[in-house]
Amino acid sequence: MTPVESAERALRRAVPWIATSLALIAAVYVRALAFTPAEAAQGPAQKIFYVHVPSAWVAFLAFGIVGGVSLAYLLRKDPRLDLLAESAAEVGMVFTSVVLVTGPIWGKPIWGTWWTWDARLTLTLFLWFVVLAYLVLRGAVNEPERRARYAAVLGILGALLVPFIYASVYLFRTIHPMPVILRAGGPTLPGAMLATLLFSIAVFTLFFGVLLYYRYSLARLADARAHAAAERRDA
Amino acid sequence: MPQRSGGMPENGGYMVAAYVAAGAIYLIYTALLLRRGRAEK
Repeated sequence: MTPVESAERALRRAVPWIATSLALIAAVYVRALAFTPAEAAQGPAQKIFYVHVPSAWVAFLAFGIVGGVSLAYLLRKDPRLDLLAESAAEVGMVFTSVVLVTGPIWGKPIWGTWWTWDARLTLTLFLWFVVLAYLVLRGAVNEPERRARYAAVLGILGALLVPFIYASVYLFRTIHPMPVILRAGGPTLPGAMLATLLFSIAVFTLFFGVLLYYRYSLARLADARAHAAAERRDA
Repeated sequence: MPQRSGGMPENGGYMVAAYVAAGAIYLIYTALLLRRGRAEK
């Protein structure tokens, strides 16, 4: 099987998984909205949590992948690693956008303001701009090896923001809530809320994995086509 | 913030707005990705 055929087959194989992930996200919506109790003090707006937190977890995962794979690219110079980093950055940016949209919608009724220049909010916005710069940089450099090297350096720098964003609620005076699962002493959520959150995290992680696979297969297909065209020109 | 007699805040509109916005972003990106895939084949 040629690289083009292999990438095309991967694209076809991913489509049913995308449909499955979307159906599972619909199930998360139904469970969160209809079958999970609202928190007494915050009211229904607290349920934004079940979309906001899993999206933030996936964004962290995506940029962790960008950083790790970019570092591996600089060490091994394997172009597939560069394509994977590019794909993870693009998909991760979508999840970060959801975090930055749902956060203010949650903040308005609870904090009384859409936005505040709090450490966690500001660093997350900064990460979004770094990823935007990463994607713009990739579009601006034509020579593949140079593009991959520059992008890898920026990808690593962007990923370094992730631990700061996670730790920002401990390092700075902030109005953003503390973690409710990954904390010393275990999760603080009641059972039904915790079950919905874990279900949502699992579904959004699957959705991310499927989108990443599809996006990476797309990048591989374009790359394989470009190589095949170059070989035809040289022949 | 408006309060019901039971004390729970009435802010369901924000919840709906957030779920609709998140769903719209994910659906639009997925549709664009699938369209790119079809164009590439």
